[in-house]
Amino acid sequence: MNMVKTQTKPPLFALIASLLLLGLAIFPWLGLPVYFVSLLFIVFLYVTLASSWNLIGGFAGYLSFGHVAFFGIGAYVTALMMKGLNLSPFWTILSSLPAGGMAALIAFIVGYPCLRLRGPYFAVITFCFAFVVELAVKNLDILGGPEGLWLKSMDLPIHVIRAILFEVMLVIMVLAIALGIWTSRSKFGAGLRAIKEDEEVAQTMAINSPKLKLQAFALSAFFPGMAGGVYAYHLTYIHPDIVFDVMISILIVLMALFGGGGTWLGPIIGAVVLTLVNEGLSTFVKAEFARIIYGCLFIGVIIFMPNGIMEFLKRGRERKRV
Amino acid sequence: MNAVLVLQSLISGIMMGSVYALLGVGFSLTWGVMKVIHISHAAFGLIGAFLAYTLLQWWGLDPILSLVISVPLLFVAACLVYRFLITRITQAKEVIVASMILTFGIAIILENLMLLIWSPDPRLLTTAYTSKVFILGPLYFQYPRLAGFLMSAVGVLVIHFFLKKTLTGKAVRAAWQQSDAAQLYGVNLKRISMVTFGLAVASAGAGGVGMAFLYSFDPHAHNLWLIYLFLVVIVGGVGNVIGTALAGLIIGVITGLSLAFLPYQWVNLLTFGLLMIILLIRPHGLFRGEV
Repeated sequence: MNMVKTQTKPPLFALIASLLLLGLAIFPWLGLPVYFVSLLFIVFLYVTLASSWNLIGGFAGYLSFGHVAFFGIGAYVTALMMKGLNLSPFWTILSSLPAGGMAALIAFIVGYPCLRLRGPYFAVITFCFAFVVELAVKNLDILGGPEGLWLKSMDLPIHVIRAILFEVMLVIMVLAIALGIWTSRSKFGAGLRAIKEDEEVAQTMAINSPKLKLQAFALSAFFPGMAGGVYAYHLTYIHPDIVFDVMISILIVLMALFGGGGTWLGPIIGAVVLTLVNEGLSTFVKAEFARIIYGCLFIGVIIFMPNGIMEFLKRGRERKRV
Repeated sequence: MNAVLVLQSLISGIMMGSVYALLGVGFSLTWGVMKVIHISHAAFGLIGAFLAYTLLQWWGLDPILSLVISVPLLFVAACLVYRFLITRITQAKEVIVASMILTFGIAIILENLMLLIWSPDPRLLTTAYTSKVFILGPLYFQYPRLAGFLMSAVGVLVIHFFLKKTLTGKAVRAAWQQSDAAQLYGVNLKRISMVTFGLAVASAGAGGVGMAFLYSFDPHAHNLWLIYLFLVVIVGGVGNVIGTALAGLIIGVITGLSLAFLPYQWVNLLTFGLLMIILLIRPHGLFRGEV
C-alpha cells in the first residue's frame, strides 16, 4: 500500500521530505536554546536505532533484544580512536564510520552462528550477547573498566558543538531511513519479508535466507555503531552502564513495534512519539513512574495493537464493527 | 589446588544450584506447558525476596516462614496477571514472542514498583543464623545456605509430585502433551493454565528467598537472575522438571567451582558465554524429556 502510494506521487513526497530536511538542517543555527537542539539530537538517535533495528527485527522478524551492544561498541570504538590516535573532534563523521564498521563486523561474526536460532531463542541469545559485551567491557582496563572513559571535548562554545553533532546525527539518520525505504521497495526487503512469513517456504523459493539474514543483521548493526560513536562525543563521558543500558535495547524494540515493524515509516513514528513522551515524562514525573508507564505501553502495544499504531488506526473502524 | 577447597566449592555449588533449580522449575513449566516465556518470573521472585526482607524487619519473621504469606499473595497476583493479561495474547500468531514482550512490560513495572517501595539500595537477609556455620570435619556449611538448600529441595520435590500424583498435576501434563485431546477429556485448559502460572510464580517467590540467602539483592537483580533462568531451563530442557533441577545443580557446581578460582565478574561472563554456546549447539536443551 505504502509502496504504491509513494511511488505514484514521487515529486510531492520528495518535495515534502527535502523541505523537512532543510528545515531540520538549519534548525540548530536559529539561535534557539541548546535544550531543543539536544532534544532533537536524541530524537534522531532513536529514529536511527529503531529504523536500523527494523531491518532485522521488523522486516525479517528476528527480534534482537541486544541491539544496545552495537551502540555501545560504536561508542567505545570512537572513544578509543580518539584516545589512541588523538583525532580532532572535527573528524566525528569520519571516526564514526569505523565505529559503525566495527559494530557491523562484530554483528557479522556473532550473527553467523546466532541467526540459525529462531523466535525466542534468537531473542534470548541476543539479550545475553549484550550482557556479555557489557561485562567484558567492564572488566577490561584498557576500556576504562567500571570507571568509564572521559573524552576530550571540542574547543568550541557549547551550542556550536551541539550543532555540529546535530548535523552529523541528522546525516546518519537520513542514511538509516533511506536504507529502510530502499529495503521496503527492493528485492532484498521482499526476501526478508518472505523469511518472516515462513522461512522454510522462502528457502524453497530460492531465497538464500542465511545470507540475507546476515546482511540485514550486519547492516542493522552498522548505524547503531555510528550513532553510538556520535553519542560518545555528545556525552564526552562514557560508562558501560550508560552505553550498554538494557533499557535502550528494550526501547528500540518498543519503538519499532509501537510504530509498526516491517514498514519504513513505522519505526520513525514510534521513535519520535516515544522519545518525546519519554522526554516529557522524565521532565515532569519521577524516573520510576516514567518507566512504569513504559511498561504499561509495552503491555498495551502487544495486546491492543500487535501490528503497530499505524495498522491500529487503519483498522480502527473494522474493529468496532466486529 | 587442594581437595578440601574443591570439595567445599562443590558443596556451595550444589547449594546454589538447588536454588537455581527451584527458581527455574516454574519458568520451565510456564514455557513448556503454556508456551509463555515469562520474563517477569525473576521479578516476581525478587518480590518474594523483598517481602521476606520486610517481614523480617517488621516482625522478625524467619524468611522461610514468610513464605506462608508471600506464596499465596504471589499466587493470587499471578492468577490475576494470567486472567487479565496473558489470556489476551494466547490467540496471537506468535504466542511465545508476544508473551516475551508482554512480560517484559510486566517486569519493567515490577522493577520500578520495587524501586519506589524499597529504594535501589542493595539488601541482605540478615537472620539470627546468618553468620552461623555447621562444621563437619574440614568442611563447613553456612546455615542460611543450608536453609535455602533444604527449602529448594522440598520445593522442587513438591512440584514434581504435584505433577506426577495429583489429578490437577496430571491435567497439566496432559495439557502440555496434547492440549486438544486433553480438552476432549474434560481438562479445562484455561483453568489449568491459570493454576500452572500461579504455581510457577509462587515457586519463584520461594526461589527468590533462596537467592536472597545466597546473594545481596536490589530491585535490578532480576535481570541477572533471568539469565540464570534461561541458562537452567535451556540446559535442562523446556518443560522438564527433573531436567531443570539437574541443570540447576550442574550450573551451581560450575559457578561454585569457578568462584573458587575466578573473580566474581568473570564468573558471570563465563556463565553467559556458556549459555550462548549451549544455545548454539543444542537450542532445545541438553536433556530432552517430558513434564
